[in-house]
Parts: sequence; structure tokens; C-alpha cells
Amino acid sequence: MQITCTGCSCLCDDITLRFNGEKIEEVRNACRRGAGIYLHHSSNMAKPKVDGEEVELEKALERAKEIIADSKNLVIYGLDTTTVEAQKVAIELAEKMQAYIDDCSTFCLGDFVEMILKGELPTATLEDVKNNAYVITYWGTDPYNSLPRHMSRYTYYPRGGKRQRGYEEDRYLVVVDVRKSHTAKLAKKNARFIKVDDDLELIDAFMKVMNGKAPEKFADDAARVIREMKKADFNVIFGGLGLKYGLNGNYKPFIELTKKLNEISKVYFIPAGFHANMRGFNETLFEKTGCVNRYSFREQKCSNDFAFSRLIESNAVDTALIIGSDPLNSLPFDVAKNLAKINTIVIDPRRSFTSEIAKVVLPSAISGVEQSGTMVRSDGVKVEVKAVVEKDVNDVYLLKDLVRAV
Amino acid sequence: MPITPMEVYKLLPKTNCKRCGEQTCMSFAFKVINREKTIEDCKPLFEEEKYRSQKEKLIKLLEPLNKATETGLIVDESKCVGCANCIVVCPVHAAEDPFGAGSGFGPTIENPILRMENGVVKVVNMEMCRRYGKNRTLCVACRENCPSDAISFLEG
Amino acid sequence: MLRFGKFLRKIEVEVVVARNALQAEAADAGKFSDDFVDKSAVLYISENFAKNTGLKEGQIVRVSNGERSVKLKVAISDIAPENGAVMPNSIYSSYLSDFSSFKRFKAIIEIEDGKQTTPDEILDLIET
Repeated sequence: MQITCTGCSCLCDDITLRFNGEKIEEVRNACRRGAGIYLHHSSNMAKPKVDGEEVELEKALERAKEIIADSKNLVIYGLDTTTVEAQKVAIELAEKMQAYIDDCSTFCLGDFVEMILKGELPTATLEDVKNNAYVITYWGTDPYNSLPRHMSRYTYYPRGGKRQRGYEEDRYLVVVDVRKSHTAKLAKKNARFIKVDDDLELIDAFMKVMNGKAPEKFADDAARVIREMKKADFNVIFGGLGLKYGLNGNYKPFIELTKKLNEISKVYFIPAGFHANMRGFNETLFEKTGCVNRYSFREQKCSNDFAFSRLIESNAVDTALIIGSDPLNSLPFDVAKNLAKINTIVIDPRRSFTSEIAKVVLPSAISGVEQSGTMVRSDGVKVEVKAVVEKDVNDVYLLKDLVRAV
Repeated sequence: MPITPMEVYKLLPKTNCKRCGEQTCMSFAFKVINREKTIEDCKPLFEEEKYRSQKEKLIKLLEPLNKATETGLIVDESKCVGCANCIVVCPVHAAEDPFGAGSGFGPTIENPILRMENGVVKVVNMEMCRRYGKNRTLCVACRENCPSDAISFLEG
Repeated sequence: MLRFGKFLRKIEVEVVVARNALQAEAADAGKFSDDFVDKSAVLYISENFAKNTGLKEGQIVRVSNGERSVKLKVAISDIAPENGAVMPNSIYSSYLSDFSSFKRFKAIIEIEDGKQTTPDEILDLIET
């Protein structure tokens, strides 16, 4: 059976499963993480709970509806691992409740997705990259660990289109990082590993080289990379968290850099990657509100004040509906721990740290394994994921039930 | 650690008796590494008492070769994260499966050299690999593009 | 600032938080397993750093950022910065950091006996 993996935003669609009766016996072509999702899809499953006690699903749903109906300030959060169809229902619920809605992109690459959607950064698809890209730059990202097949499926290693001769002759790899990560180790022959401490220094070096001046740092690296980019008509920069946090909220230098690079050659930007459907949420919310995240339906605008972590920190909400995310695992503790003090409802197929302190736990389905739907790849291409075995109780079912009740 | 022909040669009778069918013991050593001949083909080694200790040392030395007779390429699965660089980089895959593995997808041919199964790379069909057989070349493409050094070869 | 010395009790280090593929697999399979602790409660340092500080592979260390600390296992890896450390992205790194230095923060390392902190120990610190 051929399926699309939902392990990350690569959304590889060439995965095949072999069954032994009902059980998945072999997963082919998926990376370790993706294969694990299919092989271990029934481990550590969530159970319906109210106040830490296991109950029947109906009871948990009732309690969740009560809590939401009674809430004065609700935030809906997570959503990056669920389908666009479920995200739409969540947005509908937020609108009905005049609530806040935010996802992980606020502290991930949401800013970059927003810049792309607003046309501030030129972009391309991963297929375009495979068929055309010469200089491929991974800036502040280590795909070997976060998006294992990224380089072999879409960028440096595969042959395609105008790049028939493979990585040794038709590609130039640049890896920018604060340490020699696994990915950086691959920068060998036609490649450069640029070790940075402050990304702004490297941006400055590129700008100086393009303006005919000599930078104090990275003179050789910047000059070489610019020279290589000029050789081709298609180059790409994949930006990750290292770049985001390196820029520390000020994207102007990077936007200026991209503009200048496009005067000397064609250079596109694609966010490196994230949860399977983070971009799906950004695009769905953007279509409706013009914002990619941290939105308030009451105030009809987005703001840093409406970021999930800010709302929790500032005691601005009394209820949090968390879908497919585990803030206790991924957000600073001082922020996430406050979820125990408010009415937290968790919708998740698996038991998570946050579900341990939630008032209500509603077990749902794993996207691409137990629920079907649409997801959006890191480059904006829409992909259909099909369930291996559809579960009746999934994100759309639970969220629709909650919407009906309020 | 790859086993070298020199290591094998040092433990052979070194008489160039030609009973194995090779002209010299050195040439026989290469053929053993290649698995074109087995150590049992050296008759004096097994027939004569004076070579007993050398024979035992040789059998021990060549143990890994026996274990990996099917592969010769070893993947340390505990290090493999399933990035598939090795599969896509392989020049044989590029030639035999250009629109499959050669283009970044999972292999579409029946028996590729390498394939990802359950998240790690498995050796499926070593015979296709350029490193083996009569016209072998010193191809290191898969090992060179494995960031966690999960791939190692048995001989040099 | 990095201070060297075999008899030094406290070592200052900059920790980079990064994703680790093997840890991600363990997290997906089950966050309450020993495997999760084993793969997440880890501090990766370079061979050089280990030599300079006397830290050894498999040693348990207490890693603190201000008031908060966790016990991690030392692992030597060449993906760690020369004079720094790497932690996988998980509840442990989230516990130690805050948004002002989310993926890169300064920490203190002290050698200590015992075992790696479990997620339950962190969850127990939460007041309702």
C-alpha cells in the first residue's frame, strides 16, 4: 500500500507499507522517524480522561463542551500535526467563541512563511529545486536530524531537470551553522561549511562582497558563495530555526540580502521544515484573516500579545484547547506549567506530558495513519494524506462536536 | 576495520605453489578478499601441520568476511537515521533506476543494492555494487555521504 | 566564559538546543519510556571539551540554568561545538530555557551521582 508520511513537512509520498493481517509489518522508503510513526502507531495511546481519571469518551466530551461554553477567554493552540480540514473547524470554533488561536509557528518559522505569503521573499517548490538548483544553502538548520530525507529526496543528491549529473558536478552545497552538525559534515568537495556565531556578520559579509567591498569576516566564504551563485540561474536558501533566532526578530537584514542576491542571480527562499502541517495552518488562517498565527477573533487582529505563550504567561486566558501539541515538551517550563492552573483540554492521539496535567483529555487520531485529509508541505505544495485505517473519532469529529455545542 | 590483502598474504605459506589456481600467494590473497576464492582453496594451508597456527589466525581474521558474505558492506543500524543519501548517491542506482532512486525516490527496481526498511538502510543486493566482482572499482559514494558514519566496508 | 581544570566542580558552558533524529523516534513512540529518557536527557560534548574538563562518556551531570536544573548523561560526539554542548529538543531543554535564550543558553555543569532526571520529576514540580 502506498502512502504519504506525516512525520514532517517533507510529506514524502513514496512510502509503501506491507501488512501481516491487520498489523503493519514493513515500512519501505520512510526515514526512521516516519517509519516509527507507522510501526508504533498504537503505542502510548491517549485515553479519555476528566481530572486525571479515565472515563468514557462521551463523558470527557461533555465536560470539554461545558468548559468551553463557560470560558470567557479561550485560546486554541497546536494544530500543526492535524489536517487542514481539522484546522478549519478549529478556526470556526475560535471565531464562534471570539477566542485566540495560535500554533507552533510563532516560535518556529511562521515569520518566514508570512514573508513568503506576502511576497516579501521569492520562493519556489521543492520540485523546482530538484530540477534547477545549483547553490543549495542550509542556513541554521540540520535536516539530517529534523528532516532526514530532505537532501536526498528534494535537494542536493537527486538528479533532475537541468541537474542531471548529480551532486558532484551539478550542485554546490553551503551549510551555515554554529557547530559542525551532521548536515555540515556533508559539505565536502563542491561545498562550504560556514561556521557562524552571529548570523548578521555573515549577512553583512555577503552584502559587502556584492557591493565590491571587503568584509572583515567571512571574506573568502562569502566571495566564493557569491561567485558560485552567479554561475547559475537558480539557487535556493533553506532557512531554519538557527537563522530565525539568529536574526532575533529583525528580518530586515535578511530581506535586504535576498533582494540584493536577486540582483546578481536568482535566489529563492524556502523555510527548511517543521511539523507536517504547520504551513497548512498558516495558509488556512492567512486566507481567512490575513494573519498566519497569534490571532484574536475578538480584536480581529494578530499581535505578539496574542501568542499562546504570552497569553498563558500573562494570565489572559482561562481555557486552553490544545490540539496535537505538547507545550510541556516544547515550550519553556515557566510558561507551560501555567497550563495546570487553567482549564486545559488536550486533543491528542497519544499520551503527552501536557495531557498529564490537563482537565480533559480527548483521544483522537494520527494524521496519515488514522485520519485522512489535506496537508501542506514546507514549500506550499498541497498533499493528500490517506489513513491506513480510518478512525471514527478523529480531530474533525471532536472539533465539530465542540462547535455544535457552543 | 577493513581487512587488507596484505594482512591475508602475511599468513599464507608464501610459496607461490599455484595449487589454488593463482600464480602467486598475493594474487590469491586478493581473490580471497574478493570472495572469488575461499581460504580452503589453499591446499598446503590445510594439509600441512606447520601451517596450523597461520591457518587458525587466517580463519579468525576472515570471520567478518564470512559473516557478511552476502553483503561486504555493513550498516550500523544504531547510527542510521534513514536519510537515504546512500541510496540516492549510489552511481549504480542512478544508472539502473534513474527515475526512482536516481531521482530521490525510494528504489523502484526489484532488487536495489540498498533500500530503507523500517526506517534504516538495509543491504538487499550486494552483487550489483561496483565494489565487488571481477571489474570492481573503489567506489565510496555511499560511505562518504553518510553523516553518522553508519556505513563501513569490510575491505579497504 | 569557559574555565578549564580537572578539579573544577562547576563548568560554565553554552548549550545549543537541536533536534536529534533518534530522540524524535523515541518521543513519537512514547514519551514515558526509558528509551525517551535515555535519548533526551543527554548532553553532547566534543572530545576536546571532555578532555579539558575531565568529563567522561556516560557520566551523570547536573546542568543548571539559574534556579532550574536537570540531571543529564554525558555523551561525546563530534557534532557538539568545540567549547560548548548540544541538547536534544525535548522537555529537558524546554525546562532549562526561556524565550530570551530559547535554543542557545548558558548553563553550569556539575558532576553528580545518580540517574538521569525523569519527565515525571519535572511534572511533579507543577502546581495546580
